[in-house]
Amino acid sequence: MSLIEIQGLNKIYDETTVSVHALKRIDLIINKGEFTAIVGPSGSGKTTLLNMIGGLDKPTSGKVLINEKEISTFKPDELIDFRLKNIGFVFQAFNLIPVLTAKENIEFIMLLQKVSKEEREKRAFELLNAVGLSDKINNRPSELSGGQQQRVAVARALASKPSFVLADEPTANLDSETAESLLDLMEKLNHEYQMTFVFSTHDAKVIKRARRVVTLEDGKIKSDIYQNEKSRINS
Amino acid sequence: MILQIAWKNIWRNKKRSLIIITATALGLWGGVFSNAVMIGMWESTIDAAINRELSHIQVHHPKFKDEKLLKDYIPNSDLIFSLIKNENDVKSVSRRVIIEGMILSPTSTSGVEIVGINPIIEKNVTEIHNRILEGSYFKDRRNNSILIGERLAKRLKVKLNSKVVLSFQGLEESLVSAAFRIVGIFKTESTVFDETNVFVLQDDILQLIGNSSVFHEIAIRARSIEKIDTVKSYLSIKFSNLSVESWRELAPEFGLTQDMLYLELNIFIGIILFALLFGITNTIMMSVFERARELGVLLAIGMKRIRLFIMIVIESILLSFTGGAIGTLLAFLTIQIFSFYGLNFSAFTEGFSMYGVPAIFYPELPLHMYIFLGIMITFTAIAAAFYPALKAIKLNPAAAIRTY
Ligand SMILES: Nc1ncnc2c1ncn2[C@@H]1O[C@H](COP(=O)(O)OP(=O)(O)O)[C@@H](O)[C@H]1O
Ligand SMILES: [Mg+2]
Repeated sequence: MSLIEIQGLNKIYDETTVSVHALKRIDLIINKGEFTAIVGPSGSGKTTLLNMIGGLDKPTSGKVLINEKEISTFKPDELIDFRLKNIGFVFQAFNLIPVLTAKENIEFIMLLQKVSKEEREKRAFELLNAVGLSDKINNRPSELSGGQQQRVAVARALASKPSFVLADEPTANLDSETAESLLDLMEKLNHEYQMTFVFSTHDAKVIKRARRVVTLEDGKIKSDIYQNEKSRINS
Repeated sequence: MILQIAWKNIWRNKKRSLIIITATALGLWGGVFSNAVMIGMWESTIDAAINRELSHIQVHHPKFKDEKLLKDYIPNSDLIFSLIKNENDVKSVSRRVIIEGMILSPTSTSGVEIVGINPIIEKNVTEIHNRILEGSYFKDRRNNSILIGERLAKRLKVKLNSKVVLSFQGLEESLVSAAFRIVGIFKTESTVFDETNVFVLQDDILQLIGNSSVFHEIAIRARSIEKIDTVKSYLSIKFSNLSVESWRELAPEFGLTQDMLYLELNIFIGIILFALLFGITNTIMMSVFERARELGVLLAIGMKRIRLFIMIVIESILLSFTGGAIGTLLAFLTIQIFSFYGLNFSAFTEGFSMYGVPAIFYPELPLHMYIFLGIMITFTAIAAAFYPALKAIKLNPAAAIRTY
C-alpha cells in the first residue's frame, strides 16, 4: 500500500526577478516500511521535495497524497495538525528548543498532542533509551554534541507516533563516524518499529545504507533503485 | 510547559530583558509614587480645609451664599441648632455669625470675613484652636477680643495686643464700627484663609448687631466620613427651606471630584505605560526575529499558530510583570515609608500654602489603584506582543528553516 504518493508535482519558486523551476513533473510512490534516500547534488531539489511531502510548502501543480489524503487542499491550521499527527521531522541542525532539556524536548511534541503526563514521561524515557541517551535526560541541547542532538531530534520525531519520518540531510553536520551511528539508529528503528524513513543526503557513505535510492538531478528523478539487502545484513 | 518555556525564553538575552525590565520598573515606580503623593496631597488638603473651616456639613439661609448679606440669617436658629444637635449621626455642631466687613489698622485696611464663634463649641467642630501662633484662643474672654491670621497681621502691620477696628453694615443699613484687641494670631495651611478670616466672640458681635439671634451658619461634624451623605440628605429633607451642603459642595476649589482625580492619575500611568509599550514591542520583536528558525521548527513539527501566538504574548506578559512587579513593590515600599514619616514640603510651603496644602502630608494609594495598575500592565503587555506575535505566526516554516 502506498503511504506517500506524488503525482505530476511541479514547484516553481516565483521570485520577483527570476523564477526557479525546482521540481519538474515528479511522480513517486513510497510504501510503508521503506527506508528511502533522496539523493542528488546541492540545488537538485531534495529539500523542496521533502518540504512538499511534509506539507511545509505548497506545490505549484500536481498532487501529494499521504495515506490517500491530498494535503494541498488543507487549510493552514489543518495542515499543522496533520503534520503533528502524521509526520516526524528531523532537520539538518538546530532541531531542538534550546531552553528545554532532552527529555522535555521529546515531551513537548506529545504535549502538543495532549498526551497525558504519565504517558509522556514513559515514552520519553523509552525513546531516550532507544537512541542511547538515557544518561543525557536532563541535558540541554547546548550541552549535547551535534550527533547527540540529532539523536534527540530522531527520538522527538518518533515520540509523536507518526506515519513516517522525514529527515532533510540529518547527517550533513556530523562527522562520518557519528553519521554512521545515526544511520544505525535509524535503521534499527526502521526495523524494530517498521517506521518509514525518507531522508535526503549527498554523502556516498550514507547513500550506501539506504534500501531505496531516489536520485534527483535538476528537479527531475534521474533514477530510482532498490539496493540489495546485503548492506543492511553486513552492518 | 508553555509558561515555563516562555519564562526561560525571556532570559535568553539577559541584557536586553533586563533593560526593559529596569525601564518598566523605574517608570512605574516614579509614576505610582507620584500618584500616591498627589492623592496624599489632595486628601490632606481637603482634611485641612474640613478641619479649618468647612466641617462636614453646613446649613445656611438659601440666599446667604449669593451676597453673604447680614440679613440672610437662619430663621429660628435656636430651635434648628438644638434639633440638629440631637440627630443620631451628628457628632458636634457649631453656630457662627458671618459678616463681610472691613478691618482697619492705623496704617492699612482690608476686607475680611468676620466669624463670630462660641470658642468652646467651635473647638468640637474645627481646629482653629490648634493653629494659634502667638497669644491664645480667647483664654481670658475679655470683651472685644479678636483672632487674626499671621498674613493679615503682617499686612496691617499689627502685633499681638494691637488694636484694630472692625466695620460693617448693620441690619438697619447703618455702618457699625468697634475697636477690638488682638489676643491671638493664627496660621493655618492656607495663606488665603489667614488673610481673609478673623474670629471674634459671638456675644460681642451680636451685641454690636443688636439682635441676639442672627446666626448665618451651622457647621456640623458627622460621626464618620461615611455618615456625611446620610446626615446631609436627612437634614435637607427636614429643613427644606434652608440650604444644606456637604464639604464637597462648599469647596468649589476642590472642583475635581475624587473619581476624576483617580481617572486623571490613571491616565498619567497610562501614558507611562504607552511609552513603555514601544520598548516592550521592540524587545519582543527582536527576540522573534532572532528565533525565526526555531519558531519555524515549532510550526513545522505541529505547534498550532494560536499556541505560538499565546506563547509570545505570555513572554511579553512575564517581561512586563517582572518589571511591573518590581516597580510597584518599590513604589509600595516608598509609599509605606513616607506615609509613616510624612513628606515634608516645607521648603516649598510658601508656594503650596496658597492652595491650602499642609507642609507635611502622607502619600497613599488605595488598593483599587494597584488592582487597576495590574490590569493596565496586562493590557500593555498584550498590546505590545500583538504585532510581533502576528509576525511569528505568519512565518513560512519552510522559508524560516531554510534561510536562518
Ligand atoms: N525559497 C526559494 N526561493 C527561490 N528559489 C529557491 C527557494 N528554495 C530553493 N530554491 C531553489 O530551488 C532549487 C532547489 O533547491 P533545494 O530544494 O534547496 O535543493 P537541495 O536541497 O537539493 O540542495 C535551487 O536552485 C534553489 O536555489
Ligand atoms: Mg537541501
